Amino acid sequence: MKKYLLAAGALCVLGTNAAFAHITLETQEAPVGSTYKAVLRVPHGCEGKATTAVRVQIPEGVIAVKPMPKPGWTLQTKKGKYEKSYQLYGETLTTGVKEVDWSGGNLPDEFYDEFVFRASLAADLPAGQTLYFPVVQECGDATDRWIEIPAAGQNEDALETPAPSIKLLPKK
Amino acid sequence: MISCWRAPSGRANHSCYDGMNAAQSSTTIHLHTGPLVWLVAAVMAIAVLAVPGRAFAHAALVATDPADGAVLAQGPLQFSLTFSEPVSPLVLTLVRPDGTQLPLTSYRLDGQTLAIDNPERLKSGTHVLSWRVVSEDGHPVGGSTLFSIGAPSAAPVAGEPVDWTLRTAIWAARLLLYAGLFLGVGGAFALAWLAKDRRCGQRFVAAALLFGLVAAPVSLGLQGLDGLGAPLARFAAPAVWKTALETSFIWTVLIGLIALGLALLSLAGPPGLRKLAASVALLGVGGALAASGHASSAEPQWLTRPLVFLHGTAIAFWAGALAPLGLALRRRPAEARAFLRRFSRAILPVVVVLAASGIVLAVIQVQAPAALVHTAYGRLLLLKLALLLFLFTLAAVNRWTLTAPAEAGDTEVQRRLVRSIGIEMLIALAIFGVAAGWRFTPPPRALAIAAAQPVSIHIHTLQAMADLSITPGHAGQVAASVVIMTGDFGPLDAKEVTLVLSKPDSGIEPIRRPARKPGDGTWRVDNLVIPIPGRWNARLDILVSDFEMMKIEAPIDIRSD
Repeated sequence: MKKYLLAAGALCVLGTNAAFAHITLETQEAPVGSTYKAVLRVPHGCEGKATTAVRVQIPEGVIAVKPMPKPGWTLQTKKGKYEKSYQLYGETLTTGVKEVDWSGGNLPDEFYDEFVFRASLAADLPAGQTLYFPVVQECGDATDRWIEIPAAGQNEDALETPAPSIKLLPKK
Repeated sequence: MISCWRAPSGRANHSCYDGMNAAQSSTTIHLHTGPLVWLVAAVMAIAVLAVPGRAFAHAALVATDPADGAVLAQGPLQFSLTFSEPVSPLVLTLVRPDGTQLPLTSYRLDGQTLAIDNPERLKSGTHVLSWRVVSEDGHPVGGSTLFSIGAPSAAPVAGEPVDWTLRTAIWAARLLLYAGLFLGVGGAFALAWLAKDRRCGQRFVAAALLFGLVAAPVSLGLQGLDGLGAPLARFAAPAVWKTALETSFIWTVLIGLIALGLALLSLAGPPGLRKLAASVALLGVGGALAASGHASSAEPQWLTRPLVFLHGTAIAFWAGALAPLGLALRRRPAEARAFLRRFSRAILPVVVVLAASGIVLAVIQVQAPAALVHTAYGRLLLLKLALLLFLFTLAAVNRWTLTAPAEAGDTEVQRRLVRSIGIEMLIALAIFGVAAGWRFTPPPRALAIAAAQPVSIHIHTLQAMADLSITPGHAGQVAASVVIMTGDFGPLDAKEVTLVLSKPDSGIEPIRRPARKPGDGTWRVDNLVIPIPGRWNARLDILVSDFEMMKIEAPIDIRSD
């Protein structure tokens, strides 16, 4: 019974996030030093037009990114140097994926889809802070940029097109 | 988790409803379980109600009717706004061309389209349909659509109240100053150089000079009052005089006072200095007029200032000689004949200079012939021209038909000449009065320059700075120009720049206009219509890279004309 209640509660919490129009990440909290599966939820197109590309910028400290291919979409990554080197399973990483692009697809405005990648959150990321994943959504010639990051002290809800974000939790 | 934004209408977030239903059902399920579970359920329910998760709505405007920027022959019966998802309106306002707001309360929702009834007949000019809506999920968005009836609004007329007492005082003081300079100084010059018997007209000239000596400082003080927009009662206030001293009119007053003083000296001083003092004083009249005023401040300065100088000197020569000449002819016709001869010989070239300089100045000031009729300045000029025509006719008759017999000693003609000179004097005074009226009417040239002045602001933040100019800086059809730099004056190569103007105090939600890059290092927004004057909030959304947008904003004051 307890389980049932918790499930219902969880459902209800999740439910609050189920209604959306912004592009958001499904899991909105993750401990630093863990592996994170990022699910970008695309609820609609740009101004009613079908989505043709989704591009996400990988913030510093998010390493070893592996995007999930998607049928009907061309998957590309842009690699570059990290600002510093990271240790992962005894390996030193200095470069990696900085941007993931899914393009050439067609997601009509009335349909929903998800875009997935997996990554490691570096152990030295500051727990307690928010990490932003700016996303550009292209719909043919129209573009929606989910790239707004609130200034210090600014309420995130005041933003018109906020960047998807996660809250960093302490290392487990 | 960040708490849910609630729509001002009090309409609950859609997701909150989901949460509530779920919480209720879970509570029902747990009627027979232990207190711990109860507690968990209660906490859960509170968590859901109080922190209902993030709001995710983003309704985008897809189409409007009338279209943004449309020019219509007459107001539509209804307006429509079509969004990318169903919305409900929070505030709908029509801002009229005069800046007044009309709340729009009658609307219907038809799917994603919001049809709004137009409750009144719209006057011509630019209207703003300002909307703020909340989409199903509780996120409010706002924007503005502009449309014009007939044509985009010209800048509305500024209704600044006129202090007529002050105006009259300024005008009267100016008239007296002119009388002192032209009739006084000019009279002193005529007495020194042209008259044989200096006693005739001396009193008149001295009186005019004294009037001028009083009027000059009074004029200065009034100028200060006008500059501060202060009433006549504050004439003695130090701030008024401090303001006056900062205007260019101080030079007119100073040079004028010197000229008046020298003229007095030539009347009463030692005979050796008489002619020199009178000459310098006469030149001082020209100098005083050239030192300030509409005509002197016109471009090109190298032309206008000398022309004003010549014009003023010539007026003083002509007008100044009239009173002593008329009085001399009446009282001592015999001695006056030499005076008349010298005057009539000198007057022709003087009038040519007077007319030529006047015509060139008028052309510079008025620019287009239509402005003669359409502006107050032009109408005053027409009036002055009519008076001048009369004056010239009279002077020509005097010069070519009356002067010769009068010089020959014909007493009847001399009397007629005296009468005619008297009328000339009155007309000259009337002309001074008209010219003093120009004090209040900026010439078409200045009006055009003032109207075209841009309004500029500098926005400086740590990340970026921008110079935003709106040209012309008044309400109506304008263009915006933006130069952006990084916060430390480095080049900032943006991908896109969007100008966002809003005026919350007039109920105008953001008007967004993308800027284009003409290639000269600036960003421009052409065909921008600013519907009403006042303080606007200007925001620049600078897209630095695909993933980085900077928003900087500052207030900007849009003039009314």
